[in-house]
Amino acid sequence: MSISNIVREARRRAGLTQSELAERAGVPKSTVGRIESGARNPSTGMIERLVRASGLDISVSLSEPDPGTDSMFERTLRRSPAERLADATRVARFVLRGRRQVATASDG
Amino acid sequence: MASMDFDPERMLSALTDAELRYILIGGMAAVLHGDVGVTVDIDIVPERTDENLERLAAALSGLDARIRTEGEPDGLAFDCSAEFFRNLPPDSIVNMTTEAGDLDVAFCPSGTSGYADLKRDAIDIEAADRLHILVASLEDVIRSKEAAGREKDRLALPRLRRLLDHLSGAG
Repeated sequence: MSISNIVREARRRAGLTQSELAERAGVPKSTVGRIESGARNPSTGMIERLVRASGLDISVSLSEPDPGTDSMFERTLRRSPAERLADATRVARFVLRGRRQVATASDG
Repeated sequence: MASMDFDPERMLSALTDAELRYILIGGMAAVLHGDVGVTVDIDIVPERTDENLERLAAALSGLDARIRTEGEPDGLAFDCSAEFFRNLPPDSIVNMTTEAGDLDVAFCPSGTSGYADLKRDAIDIEAADRLHILVASLEDVIRSKEAAGREKDRLALPRLRRLLDHLSGAG
């Protein structure tokens, strides 16, 4: 997600206008507008300030990719989209049946 | 309806047969791109024109769509009409259960501005025999999940980004 989208999405979730967010964060409205339009590349401190002013937190994490994922992609990508839909349908039905059994057991 | 089997092909066929203009997004769109995640519903973004809302209402009525809610396995009956969808706020999401499984309708999914925005990069995919549907690009599926920020999306995103790298030859 681009920086401009992070700020716009945080503001949207808070139900704020650009002016309201600017006032809460103590920055000029033009700053919010320029960041959201991509015309300004803000510092991490400014992003955090705007996100927090929207009542949200932001975090960044680093992780290692799962080496098994690529081999699963290789297998899946050898199948046609129709076969992928059929496979996903079978898995979903299995999961949903399991959920129903758990729900029934809980009710009983 | 609680005992129905999830049948996305039937759902998508019903929407397509009604000549509905829509984009498939969400987990099932990712699956059609090659994702290995588990998804148990269908997410669509219909075009919000009067004519298309009539088609949407007709297709959903044919699937006996009801509003999905906790504690009501069969869902709640609602006025499944073009008028109902026309009066919804633009960023509404309607979670439904149907004879063929769960279906979510959003006119403006998080991080996007709706049908026209997603159609720009959508791909025509044959999801079943002679069933062609428009599927949001993987980049747009990721964009929407990033913006939605739900826990299940947060967990899926590293895998989807990896798939995108894989498809672009960078993985």
